Amino acid sequence: MRIIVCVKQIRHTYARTGMDPEKHFLAPEDRIYRINPYDEVAIELALRTKEHMGAGEIIILTLGPLIAEAELRRCLAMGADDLYQIDTAAEMDSWSKSRVLARAIKDAQGDLVLCGKESLDNQSGQTGAFMSQHLAVPFVSAITDLTVLEERRSATLQRKAGRGVREVIECPLPAVFSVDLGPIEPRIPTYSDKKQARSFPIRKLSYDNELKPPKIVSTKTFPPSPRPKKVPAPDNTLEAFYRIQELLIGSRIQKSGEMLRGNPESQVEGIIAFLQKHGFLESGKAQKEQ
Amino acid sequence: MVVGLERRWTTWRMGLDEARSGDWPGLVVYLLGHKQILKNPYPGIAHLILFFGFVVPLLVVILAQFAFAIPLVPSWLLSLLLNILGIVMLIGTLFLLGRRIRSRGPGAPKRAILPLVIIAIIIVTGFLAEGTRLSIVQSKFSWTSPVGWLFSSGLPGSPRFMQLMIRVHFFAVLFFIASLPFTFMRHLASASLNVYYRKKGPRGELRPVCLEEGPLGARSIGDLSWKQLLDGEACVSCGRCEENCPAFISGKPLSPQKVIRDILEQMEEANRNGIMPGNPSLPLLEDAITGDEIWSCTTCMACVEHCPVYIEPMDKIIEMRRYQALSRGSFPAEARPMIRNLEIYGDVNGKGIAHRTDWALNRDVPLISSEGLDAEILLWVGCSGAFHPRYQEVSRSLVEILKRAGVRFGILGKGELCCGDPARRLGEEALFLDLVRKNINRLTHYHVKKIVTLCPHCFNTLKNEYPRLGGDFEVIHATQFVAGLIKEERITPKYPLTQKVTIQDPCYLGRVNQIYEPLREICRAVPGLELKEMKRNRENSFCCGGGGGRMWMHESLGRHINQIRAEEASETGADLVGTACPYCLTMLEDGLKFLEMERPPRVLDLIDIVASSLG
Repeated sequence: MRIIVCVKQIRHTYARTGMDPEKHFLAPEDRIYRINPYDEVAIELALRTKEHMGAGEIIILTLGPLIAEAELRRCLAMGADDLYQIDTAAEMDSWSKSRVLARAIKDAQGDLVLCGKESLDNQSGQTGAFMSQHLAVPFVSAITDLTVLEERRSATLQRKAGRGVREVIECPLPAVFSVDLGPIEPRIPTYSDKKQARSFPIRKLSYDNELKPPKIVSTKTFPPSPRPKKVPAPDNTLEAFYRIQELLIGSRIQKSGEMLRGNPESQVEGIIAFLQKHGFLESGKAQKEQ
Repeated sequence: MVVGLERRWTTWRMGLDEARSGDWPGLVVYLLGHKQILKNPYPGIAHLILFFGFVVPLLVVILAQFAFAIPLVPSWLLSLLLNILGIVMLIGTLFLLGRRIRSRGPGAPKRAILPLVIIAIIIVTGFLAEGTRLSIVQSKFSWTSPVGWLFSSGLPGSPRFMQLMIRVHFFAVLFFIASLPFTFMRHLASASLNVYYRKKGPRGELRPVCLEEGPLGARSIGDLSWKQLLDGEACVSCGRCEENCPAFISGKPLSPQKVIRDILEQMEEANRNGIMPGNPSLPLLEDAITGDEIWSCTTCMACVEHCPVYIEPMDKIIEMRRYQALSRGSFPAEARPMIRNLEIYGDVNGKGIAHRTDWALNRDVPLISSEGLDAEILLWVGCSGAFHPRYQEVSRSLVEILKRAGVRFGILGKGELCCGDPARRLGEEALFLDLVRKNINRLTHYHVKKIVTLCPHCFNTLKNEYPRLGGDFEVIHATQFVAGLIKEERITPKYPLTQKVTIQDPCYLGRVNQIYEPLREICRAVPGLELKEMKRNRENSFCCGGGGGRMWMHESLGRHINQIRAEEASETGADLVGTACPYCLTMLEDGLKFLEMERPPRVLDLIDIVASSLG
């Protein structure tokens, strides 16, 4: 049995510490490149299925340039047998992505396709479902456990149905399942496996003629506005004085400012210059008003 | 006997190569001084007596071979000396014998009983023989051997009895010597060898791992170096490691003595069956030593500090952790997220590089990269100082102090990564080396010459482990630096704190790096502060339970180590507990809350104390 795990390399933004509003307050170190954690769990689930059945092959399939190669190779070191990369830098939406992926899965003759429930970067959660459409196979979302019954060519799944409800599902194979975080934790690869994976040749696939222009295009993203600072509840064993002090320390933000001096005109100019500098006024408008 | 010795030799010689140089003066000083053994006073004194009771007659016998005729007067003195030695030696033997017989519990060291009985027989028969000699040959110098004289009054003047006693005496001596390699008494050789080859470099240094070749950690005894196996050979089961091990005291399954004994048993078995190292059929170490044992260690070095023959159980535990981590990929469940955070984000909290300077926000802390800053020192903040909300206060206090003193300093800011200590102590050597490489690149890029660290764990890693991997800089701990500033009067604590303070010595500052005084100097420098030591202090200090990666694990077995230490701290009646380590701070604060006292002592870093006294 051949299990194909679709893995996405993501650019994960975990902080917003930059100073430049043009760049949405993003500094270069606010982002890391890693593998979508849902996909890591999917790999672990595939590995357990393989170990349980005693035979099989696990192929990791990824789409796009190798932005997180080290992490991708780490996934390989967890115990997968092969690593395919569809090498393209084209702009794509979930539909066209799933189309290319489905094509690759068909060519690789996968019996079971696993992918993450959604990706951490844009969380559309569509690719898995669309793939099943392209492959014309059943699709189950958000599974947390998987048992393959080989002689019946079917699988028993546990699925998270939301609000703490769990569901057991029986599904014929081949099929596409998307995996949710659950009790299964991805394993830590051993050092010798990591070493081998470092020089493992990645098989590059090319489906350039399959590429379709995206149907939907993301035109603008709005980063979240900064959240109010959290102040931890003071330690209730302390005396009142210390508790108040703790609250004050927690919420104190030292403000820095500039005192504008001189005649009113120069002060107005100073204010406008400040507003322009920090992007509150567009410079053209400001000049007109003057 | 020779065969026996040879067999013992091959037993530990089958370990991996490791360059160690011997140390004759060290051995002689060690044997004559008995300082390390005397750390446990009563058995120590008994051992001292036994040792000299053994060496002096031996010397006499050897001397007697060369110069048979000893002048009369010295011979009287010698005889008297031997008699007195004999008496105290007998007392010592009986004391040790009683101690060994009384000791109970699993694997109580009973194997020492036989040789002790033989020694007792040697001494008693010696006295009896002398007694009978004196009762046969009346001599006016009988006062020189008082015990013999005492016996002679009660013994028949039978030459046959004397002959018998002399024979028994000599046979016992011969038997004792012949049985050396087979009994406990082989520690005469193995322990001396172990002292001879003891570690010269920084204490608590771990054996480097060559990732490309060679074993990744210890799967079986074949993966340990010869010195590590010699450690097993030299163990005398005195149990001092156990008495001081925080994990053992708090009821966890770990006992350093058992670890060493298990290794010895596997060595002996392999040697009996003629299995050579490298043979995969060697039994696994984990067959004898369970995961709970190796993950219970806090790497506090108490066992290493207290071992009378310089055995290091800690590095064997780390070797076994390395095998689990590198070759099996298995960690305790709670430690896995921490390791993963280190891999992805480069810090133990998983907050990421971007948040590393949050503690310094709006506080005007200069970066080492900022222009025009000719920094004398680099302030290494460490993960706790940068991310832990409680310890961030301490980093701010230190910045305050440095500014007051007019020290030109800088921080690496977002260029700093975890020093690698938690990864290394958990056995993840590959990750450790990776972090070290990145950090050293950064440090050499800024030509850093002198580093002040906040955390003793960072301190130890930067000071003792980075040089081997290419780091070249002077490292001092914040308490040392601040104590120096006070001594040079660049800062003067002036506002009095009329409170009693007790000190928790961090393991990685105290036992590992022998830094005890700066902490106390700081306490003395702050006016009004009264220092009260805890029951266990300085090199006997008790671990807070946070080292060796234990900070990130649950304590599900036995009692909580931090609660034991918190109780000790509260027994002193102090108002403040001063420490110098982020782990100690958090663990003790936690432990003291658990005690539910009406007015629990507050836990403060000594840096905090100085900063508040500066006003």
